[in-house]
Amino acid sequence: MNHTDTAPSQAKPVKPRFMRGLQRSRPMLTALAVLIALLTLNSTISPYPLSYFDVSFLASGGTTTALAAMGQTLVILSGGFDLSAGAVISLVNAVLASQMDPTNFAASVPLWTGIGIAVGMAVGAFNGFFIAYLRLQPIVVTLATMFIVQGLTLLVMDKPGGFVSPSIGSAYMGDAIPNLLPASVVLLGVVVLLWLWLKRTPFGLALYAVGSDPEAASATGLRTGWVIFFTYVLAGGLYGLAGVFVSAQTGSGDPLVGNSLLLPTFAAVVIGGSRLGGGKGGLVGTIFGAYILMIVVNILLSLNISAYYSTIAESTVLMLAVLAGSLSASSPLAHKLRGARDYISARSKQMLITQRPYADKRLDFAAKVSPSRKAGPGFWTRNSALMRYTLPAFVCLFVVLLITQASFGNVFTSFRYWDALFVLSSFLVILALGQGAVILTGGLDLSIPWTIGLSGILVAGIVQGADGALIYAIPVVLIVATIIGFLNGLGIVALGLSPIVVTLAMNGLLQGVALIYSNGTPDGFAAPALRWMMTGEILGITPIIPTLGLFVLAAVLLLGRTAFGRRVYAIGNSETAARLSGVNTGKTLILVYILSAICAALVGILLTGFSGQASLGMGDGYLLPSIAVVVVGGALITGGRGHYLGMFGGALLLTSMQTLLAGTTLPFAFRSVFFGLVILAAVIALREKRSH
Amino acid sequence: MFNFKTVASTAMAAGLLALSATAPVIAQDKYDVYLSMSYIGNDWQAEAANMVKAIASHSNYADRVNLRVQVAGPNAQRQIQQINAMVQAGADAIVVYPISPTALNNVVKNACDKGVTIIAYDGEITEPCAYNVTIDQDEAGRVTAEWLVEQMGGEGDIVLMTGVPGTSVDAARTAAAKEVFAKHEGINVVGEAIGMWSQAVARTELSKILATRDWSDVDGLWMQVGCFTANAMQLEAGIAADALLPCAGEGSNGGRIQMLPAGTDVEGAASPYAPLGAPRISYASPPYSGALAFKLAVDVLDGKEIADLTTLPLPLVTSETVQLCETGSWDEQKAGCNAFLPSLVSNPGWFASIFSADLPEVGLNAALVGQPED
Repeated sequence: MNHTDTAPSQAKPVKPRFMRGLQRSRPMLTALAVLIALLTLNSTISPYPLSYFDVSFLASGGTTTALAAMGQTLVILSGGFDLSAGAVISLVNAVLASQMDPTNFAASVPLWTGIGIAVGMAVGAFNGFFIAYLRLQPIVVTLATMFIVQGLTLLVMDKPGGFVSPSIGSAYMGDAIPNLLPASVVLLGVVVLLWLWLKRTPFGLALYAVGSDPEAASATGLRTGWVIFFTYVLAGGLYGLAGVFVSAQTGSGDPLVGNSLLLPTFAAVVIGGSRLGGGKGGLVGTIFGAYILMIVVNILLSLNISAYYSTIAESTVLMLAVLAGSLSASSPLAHKLRGARDYISARSKQMLITQRPYADKRLDFAAKVSPSRKAGPGFWTRNSALMRYTLPAFVCLFVVLLITQASFGNVFTSFRYWDALFVLSSFLVILALGQGAVILTGGLDLSIPWTIGLSGILVAGIVQGADGALIYAIPVVLIVATIIGFLNGLGIVALGLSPIVVTLAMNGLLQGVALIYSNGTPDGFAAPALRWMMTGEILGITPIIPTLGLFVLAAVLLLGRTAFGRRVYAIGNSETAARLSGVNTGKTLILVYILSAICAALVGILLTGFSGQASLGMGDGYLLPSIAVVVVGGALITGGRGHYLGMFGGALLLTSMQTLLAGTTLPFAFRSVFFGLVILAAVIALREKRSH
Repeated sequence: MFNFKTVASTAMAAGLLALSATAPVIAQDKYDVYLSMSYIGNDWQAEAANMVKAIASHSNYADRVNLRVQVAGPNAQRQIQQINAMVQAGADAIVVYPISPTALNNVVKNACDKGVTIIAYDGEITEPCAYNVTIDQDEAGRVTAEWLVEQMGGEGDIVLMTGVPGTSVDAARTAAAKEVFAKHEGINVVGEAIGMWSQAVARTELSKILATRDWSDVDGLWMQVGCFTANAMQLEAGIAADALLPCAGEGSNGGRIQMLPAGTDVEGAASPYAPLGAPRISYASPPYSGALAFKLAVDVLDGKEIADLTTLPLPLVTSETVQLCETGSWDEQKAGCNAFLPSLVSNPGWFASIFSADLPEVGLNAALVGQPED
């Protein structure tokens, strides 16, 4: 279905319906094959036989992830992205565990299941309203929702506890048919049946249409807004069901239980064969993806893989599973290999463009156009788009500054506030260039956390507190980062895999490398020069600030005034159009990921200087903010639109808001809600007036 | 296609069932003990894991216990799956760092029903059949808060640095401390930062607070993790070592070294990881709890009776009781030393509360590199 544009002349005979179906569901079938292979492997290497109980436990173990990932699949099919999935699971779990009567051991299963699904759908409707009707970007709406829901969850339940009636537990964890069919399998089966029905309804058709091409869908008269809204509501319902299932599984509540499920849901969707970006895939493959992720736990145990290597092993499974689903004669890898073969043969025949003699082939009239420039549009007209997308961040920043001034009274009177603001925002300002460039090409770099962590650990470990060693330590770290970025880029360009998969796997790989290198406890100190850079003083300001000024200037020039920058935007607008216009898209993409890795490495080095030492997990808190600043700064997550100055404003906005909140004694729950609302407010200001 | 998918999904269920008859059971003479860890991306976890590995390789245990270590990450779903896989693999005992005190209850109950001993360290598992090894978190919050109030003479403005919001440990410690502060009218909490139990986060959060406040506006600090960093930041701000704010906080080795009288000769010290005479109380959830849990698990397998809840003595060190170790051996720590040379422990965030009278098998080398005492 996605190759109809390649060569209409080679029309093939129409295959029988069954064969077409088989071909179309190939990624899903591959996921199934991988799952069966892993299950077989596990039962071969495990010396103990599986009993029915084990099978039933295995089945229910993956159900929560499977349900949540199915919700995520719906959103992804519609071309969206939902970061609130994990938070909704926690919320539903907290609501159920805190609201059930601890003396009632026979609470109604349908009632509480309904409540859980309704809570999830309510959150979904909130997402859907902003995404479908206000046309805000899914990633940033759901990011804001995630913060708000996490805050609400902590208001409902501030620590683990509560009670979930055993009747819920036995309903979902028990057997549908004793010793034959676990209830969890039936639950998944029911959801699958509903999906297969839904898929054949006009809504199902519209869902795929909207995900494939929203403009075409809208042009054919589909009510795209309604379709998208309903998709988020349905997805929310599935997260709610996952929350109910977690409650049944654990018999109690934990306000953090779902938060770590977010990344696995993406992995499950991709392994299951759905395409990030929409329009292709389905919910059944996702179930297999979720179980593949769970069975890996058993295999690591059976093989007794050391703890330090477990993230490496998982990343490898993720990559291989996705690769297995995408390999075919028409896959990007095969395409690239054919391209390389053609290149070599053309070269040996002296037929390459670059090998031919240069001749001016411009058409006659082109030379006659006089190069004299007419008076161009005015400054405001030329920069109106820039203003539109960058100003909201700065306006919100100004509001936050006013509130800070009113509460603490030192914003406009002392430089100390600004000094702290710039130092603290320097990390996000730098990350914004890398993540921003990646997002401008329509990608996403999830390997930032452990690129930061590994770089910090390397630099502290090499310099061991000596200034002289910085001369080679920093180049070493930057070279390592270049390799990381190159591998990311290569995986995306040559293997044709989704950036999310490649960088997610890379992140796990780097975590393993960092653990092995540091043996669990990173040692060494930042060199005094690095510490001075971040915490010292020169003419009354911290030395990083003037450097940061230069960085911002260089970043604006790089993205706005160089050929590289223009290629980045061109790829983001349409990779095909860029390639056909002669842009070496592969090379540019690889360079973009190298840029991102280098920015992350710089942050790792500076963070080490700031803290005086490196620690494992020091980059953990920077992934979502790095995405948030880029989007709040006016960039479009699908690529092609955005300006670095806006991202800079976004970084300052987020940091100033955190500074304001840190100075208060507000409980974390309220801070989280407030943080989410401000992000939402900033993107509402960025709203497109017309549909695109 | 649709039909095919339905067939496929039922085939999966059938596939799961078909696997239930394989492989013989291997006869065993050693105990199989499994360790299910959470996240290994921080110092505490790595140290705790090292100490478990060390005690398992000690001659008391090496020839009668097989230890296998697995990591579940931050995801409770995976830990549930992992514990069950361990039961399935024939574990005799499972030592758990529980990601959630409640989420594991059902899987733990199942494991107990199959005769597997489950023992949790640091965090608690609320399922009654599990053994727990932990400190009294209420006490930790209360005692440190009382110390701070006393140091400040019952009056002044303080900044709190809490842990990971939504966890029982953070909730208990913070609530107990706040209760103490509420009793003293002169004490005002002027800032509350979310420290996530990380020195790196403590640094950024304190910097945020100091963007709008001055060190001179604060009279005392109560931090679950971050005193070492707070002292370093005060030095950077030009505050003299003898004017450092009183800080109730974590048991990192960096903090302990700072508590030594200024001018003490310490090998490998470099500011801020150096003796400052900082006014401190240092407490910690001790990283040896995993090793103790392992030992207790083997005791249970040996048929001994142990308490359902082992409450560890709260390791408290104040500026008066801090004492430097020369080598860090268990014997030396037994004699009362509680801070280690920076030349041996290069990471100031490393947790120094590693001494237990019950664990002569593990000393400094156990926590550092996983090597038992002789």
